[in-house]
Amino acid sequence: MRKLQNVFMALAALCFAMPVFADSGSAPANLAPIGVGLAMGLAAGLCGLGQGRAVGSATEALARNPGTRAGLMTFMIIGLAFIESLTLFTLVMVLIEIKRGS
Amino acid sequence: MQESLALTRLLNQLFGPMVAAAMRVVGLHPAHPATPIDNTFALEFLVVFGLIVFFLIVRLTLSVEKPNPAQQVAEMIHEFTGSQAESVIGHGYERFQAFVTCVGLFIVLNNLIGLLIGFPGVETPTGNPSVPLGIAVLTFLYYNYHGLRVHGPIGYAKQFAGPIWWMSPLLFPVEIVSHLARMMSLTIRLYANMLASDMLTLAFFSLIPLLVPTAFLGLHFAVALIQAYVFMLLSIIYLGLAVSEEH
Repeated sequence: MRKLQNVFMALAALCFAMPVFADSGSAPANLAPIGVGLAMGLAAGLCGLGQGRAVGSATEALARNPGTRAGLMTFMIIGLAFIESLTLFTLVMVLIEIKRGS
Repeated sequence: MQESLALTRLLNQLFGPMVAAAMRVVGLHPAHPATPIDNTFALEFLVVFGLIVFFLIVRLTLSVEKPNPAQQVAEMIHEFTGSQAESVIGHGYERFQAFVTCVGLFIVLNNLIGLLIGFPGVETPTGNPSVPLGIAVLTFLYYNYHGLRVHGPIGYAKQFAGPIWWMSPLLFPVEIVSHLARMMSLTIRLYANMLASDMLTLAFFSLIPLLVPTAFLGLHFAVALIQAYVFMLLSIIYLGLAVSEEH
């Protein structure tokens, strides 16, 4: 039953997809805005999840052992910077895409 | 062309033809041949000039009995970067402290100039990809030079090869690429952060030009400080990895 439901859901999505592809035959639709929006949203959301985990663990460790504050802060900031930089790569690609599209 | 600052116009009048000629010698063609110096460079120049003046004042008025405010600020900066460098590099960090302090101060001042975003012609110098790229390349050359100096060419190459000898053909390219990617990630992290902060602040200024953007200016301020700190800390970490005795 569950599988059947999934199949029908996919088919329903395809039904909506058909007119889009049919329309693009005459003049290619510009899907770049949707693409960059989705990309940035996905990147920011997943980055938020990752950073939330990192900060959560750091706070927990700090609560268990407040003496480690100085060392912990450095590692946390470095880790956050690394996680965040992945989102920023997406941002740069989005900006390049926007510049190329316009 | 956007509005240019008075400083940019002055620099262009003084050095414009010279810079354009020098660029032509090395085969570059400036976008605006009459005014090759843009606002980014003018603001960078201002920061460098200010830092040199600050260092000179501190050096000339150095005193043990009566430290003046400039000296106290310099001591605070020195203590901060020293403690960071010591906790990461450990013994023998003094040699690298000057470099990382200069990098940190240069970036933090360039980032903070971006807070004056409301003025026409002011743009964050670090929001232009070539400025962070320059600092990242300099950091890359500096830590590789010190790695070579400490370990010698063969010892430094061994660091790239990893601990197991038959894995080294596999690890060598990986290490090379990861070292080059450090440059890219340093550049893009700083550039994209400052650009995004600028855009966010400007967007809120254009939405509600009263009071609300102040909160985002505060965010911009925090990002400016944190990114300068991260850049400095990462250059310290790369230096520490390059000169460390054992992995």
